[in-house]
Amino acid sequence: MSQSNIQSVEGVEIEETKLKNSKSLWDHALENIFRDKMAVASLFIVGFYALISVLSATGIIAADWAVEVGPSYSAPGADYFFGTDIFGRSVFTKMIKGTEVAMSVGLVAAIISVCIGVVLGSIAGYFGGKIDELIVWFYTCFQSIPTIMLLVALSFVLGRGLVSMYVALGLTSWVNLCRLIRGEVMRHKNRDYVQAASALGGGHSRKLIKHIFPNVSHLVIINFSLMFQTAIKTEVILSYLGLGVQGRPSWGTMIDDAKLELARGVWWQLGAATLAMMIVVLSLNILGDALRDALDPKLKGK
Amino acid sequence: MKKFTTLFAALAILVGFASCTKKEKETGKTINIAVSADIKGMDPIYANDRYSSNEVGRVYEGLLEYHYLKRPYTLVPNLAESMPTVSEDGLTYTFKIKQGVLFHDDAAFPNGKGRELVAEDFVYSIKRLADPKLQGLGWWLLDGKIKGLNEWREKHSDLPKVDYDEVVEGLKATGKYTLEFKLTKPFPQFLYSLAMPFTFATAREVVEKYGQEFLNHPVGTGPFILPTFKQTKKVVYTKNPNFRKKLYPSEASEEFKAAGFLADAGKELPLVDRVVVNVIIESQPRWLNFLKGKVDFISIPKDNFDSAVTPDRNLSPEYKEKGISLLINPSLDVTYTAFNHDLKLFQNADLRRAMSLAYDVKKSNELFYNNTSLPAQSVVPPGIAGNIPNYTSPYRGPNIEEAKKLLAKAGYPEGKGLPEITYDCPSGTVSRQIGDYMKQQLAQIGVRIKVVTNPWPELQKKITKRQVMLYGIAWGADYPDAENFLQLLYGPNKAPGANGSGYNNPEFNKLFKTASVMQDSPERTALYEKMNRIAAEQAPWIYGVHRQNFTLRHSFLKNYMSTDFETGQAQYLNIDTAMKAKAVEKL
Amino acid sequence: MNLWQYILRRLFYIIPTILGVALIIFIIFNVVAPDPALIMLGKHATVAQIAELRNELGLNKPMWAQYLDIVKSAFTFEFGRSWTTKQEIIQMIKNGAIPSLTLTLPAFILSTVIAISISLVVSFFRGKWIDKCAVFFCVLLMSVTSLAYILFGQWFFAYKLGWFEISGYESGFPDFIPYVVLPVIIWIILSIGPDVRFYRTVMLDEIYQDYVRTAKAKGLSERVILFKHVLKNAMIPIITFVVIQIPFLILGALLLESFFSIPGLGGITLNGVYNSDFPVIKAMTILTAMAYIIFSVITDVLYTVVDPRVRLK
Repeated sequence: MSQSNIQSVEGVEIEETKLKNSKSLWDHALENIFRDKMAVASLFIVGFYALISVLSATGIIAADWAVEVGPSYSAPGADYFFGTDIFGRSVFTKMIKGTEVAMSVGLVAAIISVCIGVVLGSIAGYFGGKIDELIVWFYTCFQSIPTIMLLVALSFVLGRGLVSMYVALGLTSWVNLCRLIRGEVMRHKNRDYVQAASALGGGHSRKLIKHIFPNVSHLVIINFSLMFQTAIKTEVILSYLGLGVQGRPSWGTMIDDAKLELARGVWWQLGAATLAMMIVVLSLNILGDALRDALDPKLKGK
Repeated sequence: MKKFTTLFAALAILVGFASCTKKEKETGKTINIAVSADIKGMDPIYANDRYSSNEVGRVYEGLLEYHYLKRPYTLVPNLAESMPTVSEDGLTYTFKIKQGVLFHDDAAFPNGKGRELVAEDFVYSIKRLADPKLQGLGWWLLDGKIKGLNEWREKHSDLPKVDYDEVVEGLKATGKYTLEFKLTKPFPQFLYSLAMPFTFATAREVVEKYGQEFLNHPVGTGPFILPTFKQTKKVVYTKNPNFRKKLYPSEASEEFKAAGFLADAGKELPLVDRVVVNVIIESQPRWLNFLKGKVDFISIPKDNFDSAVTPDRNLSPEYKEKGISLLINPSLDVTYTAFNHDLKLFQNADLRRAMSLAYDVKKSNELFYNNTSLPAQSVVPPGIAGNIPNYTSPYRGPNIEEAKKLLAKAGYPEGKGLPEITYDCPSGTVSRQIGDYMKQQLAQIGVRIKVVTNPWPELQKKITKRQVMLYGIAWGADYPDAENFLQLLYGPNKAPGANGSGYNNPEFNKLFKTASVMQDSPERTALYEKMNRIAAEQAPWIYGVHRQNFTLRHSFLKNYMSTDFETGQAQYLNIDTAMKAKAVEKL
Repeated sequence: MNLWQYILRRLFYIIPTILGVALIIFIIFNVVAPDPALIMLGKHATVAQIAELRNELGLNKPMWAQYLDIVKSAFTFEFGRSWTTKQEIIQMIKNGAIPSLTLTLPAFILSTVIAISISLVVSFFRGKWIDKCAVFFCVLLMSVTSLAYILFGQWFFAYKLGWFEISGYESGFPDFIPYVVLPVIIWIILSIGPDVRFYRTVMLDEIYQDYVRTAKAKGLSERVILFKHVLKNAMIPIITFVVIQIPFLILGALLLESFFSIPGLGGITLNGVYNSDFPVIKAMTILTAMAYIIFSVITDVLYTVVDPRVRLK
């Protein structure tokens, strides 16, 4: 499929408006977000999904997803909310259980990639010189290999399962953030307030964490929401290729099942998984946009 | 905005093109076949899967073939003049070869004209199969069977070049048209191997001219020609103009007589001008293409079944009206879930029986095979000697009560003390669902299963390296003899041999050893049945089903039936062009 | 540093990149890959045969020699033969490239042009309902799995309505056209969502720049600003985005090719994945990586030529 990553532009540094101090940036942001009704709604939806996955992970809901509730392939109706699958299991319960997989894949993969991206990016940007060159070389190489090939290769290597899915997705999505962070850190490290901190005798890590990091955190937040939804969508593709999660329902395996079932008119499994995915991806996107609009200093003053 | 207008104009033209390309009127007779996997080249010695061996069988031919219209499957001469004479001790087979058979024209021959086939061609082709440098995939077929051939293979595996001129004692052309095989020990299945594509006749000149690219230059004696093979989604064969005079059979089993298969009796083969093979991997486009009449026959995809076939096994009226008809025939295969017998855990027969009893094969037949297959009682499928008709295995489920009792007897009451058992299967959608089902079923008696899907090669590797506990897989017949199935449980065939489960039962082994050198006889059948019974009672596997093929064909396709040995089938097929023109309008 | 020095340096930088890419590929495919012998020999393999084959494939060579082989293949394109089909991989790639490109190129060009024009309109009406609806709609399109579009499109438009061919391919112009129209349309639908969102962001970035405010203050009309200034300045990120996608076009469209039986590279790759055909996966990876490296050099050089604001470091 087409590449859907938002590519940032390397080497292009365009004059920008002066940053206000970080506190008021966040205040503004929150204000902006709460003014945007769509964004608030999205936030609630994402929160709702998170709640559902926590409840299902702790076994409070959807623990009985493997139980037969009726005949195979019953259509949606009063008895079975979203119909049943081949074994007569409730598609609705599977969808909820799938939410747990999707949310955990999204969350963990995004955390892994954020960690790698932030650490490497800030080290490269802050120290510069040989270290920078090395890290840039590393991510250039990494980026040259198509993501889908890396994913496939990694899932062969790591074996199948939820953990390897986290790792594979995390390992393949950090480059973009790393590059952005590097650029941002580079710009900040020569700013007055960081220089001042040096003069006061702050160590490298202190400077990085206390002064620079708050100023690049908006990038992390924006990218987090993007990675989150990319991970959810990639899980579906991997499941389709037979490299996905096993032993429990996920939206990907539901869609994979549906590929064949559609022929007999069983659309509800595809429908349920697509609907569930669509809502959360949509919300994450709107939220991401809102965050971007609110946090990105370049968009100030619109 | 000008850019956009031109763009939309271009788009409109594109769409216009699409709707203008109505199908051209059919001229001549063409068979359109859809296959669901890529074709792996056209070299007979590598044709180890159904798809490649079918393609090889359109161009190449062997000494023997299965009679097209006789059941049970019967071998008849193809390139051989007649069936071979066999010596008293059953070790020497002498073939006379048809005279005047020509290879296809090819640049490898003098003047580009195909030369006559001689006995030496078979000697060469079979040596090629044994060539250690080529790693032919059919070598298992003759491994240890022909006098001197193994020695020849071993000797040359260390030498830089393989010498085909060195004479092998058991494989000689004693005259221009006479071929003599000497076997090391009686091998009753030997003749079947001569009907398999691995041993089909290739010409040495062609192999030597094209070298590694030989697999893309098929030059045989067969009914169809393919000048060069390209790895694509569409392969077009044309009729061989120099094909020898081979006639459509005029004898047939009763079932085929009744179904009108003799209408073309005595006509010269092949009956059509072109064979077009379309590789369509996904089932939806394959099915839609069939419905549009662009493919002549199709095996019904699992999930289209309910829309096509009524519960009483008839074709739904909607399709009948379109002139489509339904063919049902059992296939020689068995699906099974094997235990890894290397594990101490599974050497406990009661545990195996308990698990087998917990598995509801009837329900799985409903879920995965639309209730079309036959629950397997043991390893040998119906239709070949060795299968015991009406036999029901005592450990055929579902019987949860009994299963629980046996599980307790095995030392694991309610599944206590059992580890979580992994179940490995291929990564297709249906395989995964079958695994989920197994998990569900065994949970009823307290056995915990974890399903792991693997790409096919990965699964093979795990089986060979004994890294499995339970695994789900199927076996299709290489030839119609129970030996081909029973060997799957023969101890000495342990992995990496065909016995992936590593089952090793001295009694069974002894019986197998005796039967494997016997000619077809009531005594041998009795031995086969005995082994089959052991294989049921000892439950070395959890048996699945013997599948049946449900195939649809269009009215205009004549002489088609679904068979286990499709190699060479295309030459017998015919198309009623007038009927096709009419039928396509309705579709 | 002057321009030429920069270009030279940038070209020189290709070498460590290729070495690094080869290293990653080597680690994944040679160090941890499964044993090919089992894949190639099928259900009746014996131990002796496996040993013979390993030798034949050069798997007993020392590690460094295997690594060098990968680096070499990035230049010579000698990828050996496929494990499953035994075809020469470079030949498979040559055969598959044209069908893939007949699908991906028109699809890519059309979707880019359509996406840019939509995003221009949308950023003109930024913040208004038309903008919000468009963005919402784009995200909606993105959120439905590609499988749903393919299955439905094929069943409804090709089979029910008979507008397009169900599947298949003919080589040669214009015979291939009826076969690629539907996949092209599906591709456009699939990529329009992310594309529009990206281009809209880029354009909004520009619109909020100081110079736009200045232009507005000077009394230029919104339309003039949009076309004359914003589009022109947004061209750099747009070009990057476009050029950087080109290498991935040769990977083809995995699912589309498979469903529409187009004999392209996507199908070859997908088959490689299904069959664990590592030489094929490896070859496709190396090929795309090389293309990516080359195209990113081209974009970098293009910038420095086009936009003097880009600093030479």
